[in-house]
Amino acid sequence: MKLYIGGAYQGQQELARRENPGAEILGDFHDAARAALLRGEDARDFARRVCGEHPDAVIVANEVGSGIVPVDPAERAFREAAGRALCVIAQRAEQVTRVVCGIGVRIK
Amino acid sequence: MTVLITGGSGCGKSTFAEKLTESLSAGSRVYIATMRVVDEESARRVARHRAQRAGKGYRTIECPKDLSGTEFAPGASVLLEDLPNLLANEMFGGGDWKRIAPALKELSGKCRHLVIVTNDVFSDGENYDPPTAEYMRCLAQINSEAARMAEVVAEVVYSIPVWLKGDAPCV
Repeated sequence: MKLYIGGAYQGQQELARRENPGAEILGDFHDAARAALLRGEDARDFARRVCGEHPDAVIVANEVGSGIVPVDPAERAFREAAGRALCVIAQRAEQVTRVVCGIGVRIK
Repeated sequence: MTVLITGGSGCGKSTFAEKLTESLSAGSRVYIATMRVVDEESARRVARHRAQRAGKGYRTIECPKDLSGTEFAPGASVLLEDLPNLLANEMFGGGDWKRIAPALKELSGKCRHLVIVTNDVFSDGENYDPPTAEYMRCLAQINSEAARMAEVVAEVVYSIPVWLKGDAPCV
C-alpha cells in the first residue's frame, strides 16, 4: 500500500498514476472518509477495512486539516475523520509521498 | 531541549508529542492543558487526551491563560498543549496574548524538556473576518518565536514526523 497526499490540485493523483502504472488507485480518499463519517462508520475502522480489502492499492487524498478549525460541527468532524483515517493509512503504507506543485516529497 | 510540534487537525500530533515527551525523559512529567471545557465536544476531546495519557506519569496543570503562573518542580519534562487554545483564551477571554512568547521562554528555562504543540491553521486559502485574521497573524508570530527558540521543530503529517529544524530525537 502506498499513500499520496497534498493540498487541493497539487498533482498527487497524476504522480500516483505515473509512479505506479497498473496499480489500483483509490482517489479522493478524503471524500471517502467523509462518506464513512456520514454512514456513521468510525474513521479508523473504515481505514483498516480499506487496508484489508485493498492491500496493494495506492491511496490518494487531499490534506484537509490545515485551516482554521471550522465553526460548523460537521465540517470539524470531517477534518478530524479524514485525519484519523489517513493516520492509519500512513502507518500501514510502505511509502508516503506528499505532493507540492506536482513535486513528490517522500516522507516515509 | 525545547521541541515545537505542528500539524493540521487530526494529524496525530498529540499522540506524537506524547510519545516524544515520554522518550525524552523518564523523570517527572507535567502536562499543561489549555483547553477550556465549554461543551460536549471539548469534554470528549479532553477525555480522549486524558485516557491517552493515563498511566504515563503526567501531572496535569490546567492553564487556559497566563502561562507564567504555572508552578511545577524544576527539572520536569513539560508537554504544553496547545498554543492555539492558549492564544484564543488570551485574545478572546480577556487576557493578553503578548505575554505568551515571553512565558514560553521562561517556561523552557524552568524545565528539563519542553514539548510545545501548535496547529497549522494557515493553509485553507479562506479569507476570514478581521478578528479571526488577527488571531491567525498572532498565532503565526508566536509559532515563529517558538520555532526560533526550539532546538527541534517537526510537522506531523498523518502520524509521520517531517523534521523542519534540528536533528530528530529518538522516538
